[in-house]
Amino acid sequence: MSDGLTLEHIFPQAAAWVEGLATTPLSLFVNGPKFGYASWEVGHILSLILIGGSTILMNMRLLGAGVTQEKPAEIYRNLRWLQNIGVIGIIVTGILIGSTNAVKLYNSSAFTVKMIALLAGIILTYGVSRPLAAANGVAATMQKVWFAIGGAIFLAGLWVLCTSVLINVGVYHIITAAALILVAVTRGRLRWAYLAGLVALIVAQFVHTHVIIKPDDYDHLNPVNKVYTVLYGVWLVGTALITIFRGRGEEGGPLTRTMAYVGILVWVLGATAGRWIAYQ
Amino acid sequence: MNRLQASIDAFLNWIEHVWGKGPTPDGQSFSELLLGSLNFWSLLEGTHLIMLMLFAGTILVVDLRLLGVTFRKTKVSTISDSILPLTVFSFAFVVMSGMGLLFAKPIFYYHTVWFLAKMVFLTLALLNILIFHGRVQATQDSWDSDETPPRAARMSAGASLVLWTLVILCGRFIPYDVYQCGKPQPDWVNWIQQCKTSEKGEENMAGQRFDAQMWKEKP
Repeated sequence: MSDGLTLEHIFPQAAAWVEGLATTPLSLFVNGPKFGYASWEVGHILSLILIGGSTILMNMRLLGAGVTQEKPAEIYRNLRWLQNIGVIGIIVTGILIGSTNAVKLYNSSAFTVKMIALLAGIILTYGVSRPLAAANGVAATMQKVWFAIGGAIFLAGLWVLCTSVLINVGVYHIITAAALILVAVTRGRLRWAYLAGLVALIVAQFVHTHVIIKPDDYDHLNPVNKVYTVLYGVWLVGTALITIFRGRGEEGGPLTRTMAYVGILVWVLGATAGRWIAYQ
Repeated sequence: MNRLQASIDAFLNWIEHVWGKGPTPDGQSFSELLLGSLNFWSLLEGTHLIMLMLFAGTILVVDLRLLGVTFRKTKVSTISDSILPLTVFSFAFVVMSGMGLLFAKPIFYYHTVWFLAKMVFLTLALLNILIFHGRVQATQDSWDSDETPPRAARMSAGASLVLWTLVILCGRFIPYDVYQCGKPQPDWVNWIQQCKTSEKGEENMAGQRFDAQMWKEKP
């Protein structure tokens, strides 16, 4: 476990430039008015909401959930402009608020994760999910190539999140999101079995970390929590694999559904990392 | 009025500093334990934001359909029936995590103008939902397939978009200390925030201070 990969490690020669960003006209423009910074932050959150709503609904449709009465191409056609505004908004507002505290972000592994997730999110949304939805779930060669690239970048971001002290707990947001997607995607007995296993894990973790081990005994708590994190991961991935290979969605096959899962989680990773910048 | 305020503050003080506190002098209340937790409070706040992505993101799509902006060829009922379960589900998470955050710092939130404004807009947004389901939706069969729903539906959707945006805006402004009890600020801000009975007291622009007696005797 390390302090985590930061942009300072990747681009050490940029230190002086980063320090100077706080005094640029852009930064002064954001920080000038009383509610300047906070207002741009609101814009950042609203952009994230636009991405969230449009991406979740589009990819959920590819998983056979959500607005199933319409073809994925129709969902894409109606939501693509919201997605465009969201992505442009998040980049513009991100640059504005980021310029005011650039030194902090330069030294933050959470910010590194956020940037990795943003890159992966753009690749997976524009290179994979959108063309996939437009083609009603049929994956062409280019989408497979972009998925390999975007998926690898997503996994790299997840790895940095999991291996950086102080922010690694944020992985529970990804676990929660994955768990909730599966509630919507699973059906019948599979859903009940999945929920039973999930509840059992939650209860076991609570008892283990509150009754068997005292809540302030961090030396023993940390390894136990890591084991539970892996168990959650195994349970969720296992259930997801069943939905992927037994999928009831008429559009696309296992690869399409895998792409759809990753297409949602990549933005959750970005939002998680963004929030955890404040806690690092 | 002041007695009512003092009672509310005494109750919030009990929640924040007394409830769950053990017999030992260094014991912590449930609220203090939550706020001081190594990771749980951060996870709670993160969950609040991330579930907002799903909640507000889905309600936005339903509102845009009601405004006749998206999914114009799709029935309103098709969109609302398939999306609103996600909205309700995520709203439950937003509310639960929000209650947890409130429980961790009830005195601070109660004396913050942005939180109070957020609660007002939240109440109005919920009332708007009730009005929509109670009145506007009663005639939905007659306009379900319309590309542009009737004016009442569009008004309700517009109000929903504005109110939820204001809820988010006020929520994001809460951590900023532009208006904070104990700092010199206009009388109207001190009045709305009821700073006179707050932990940090009240100070007006002329530098006059007022500290509530009860906080001097804090347990």
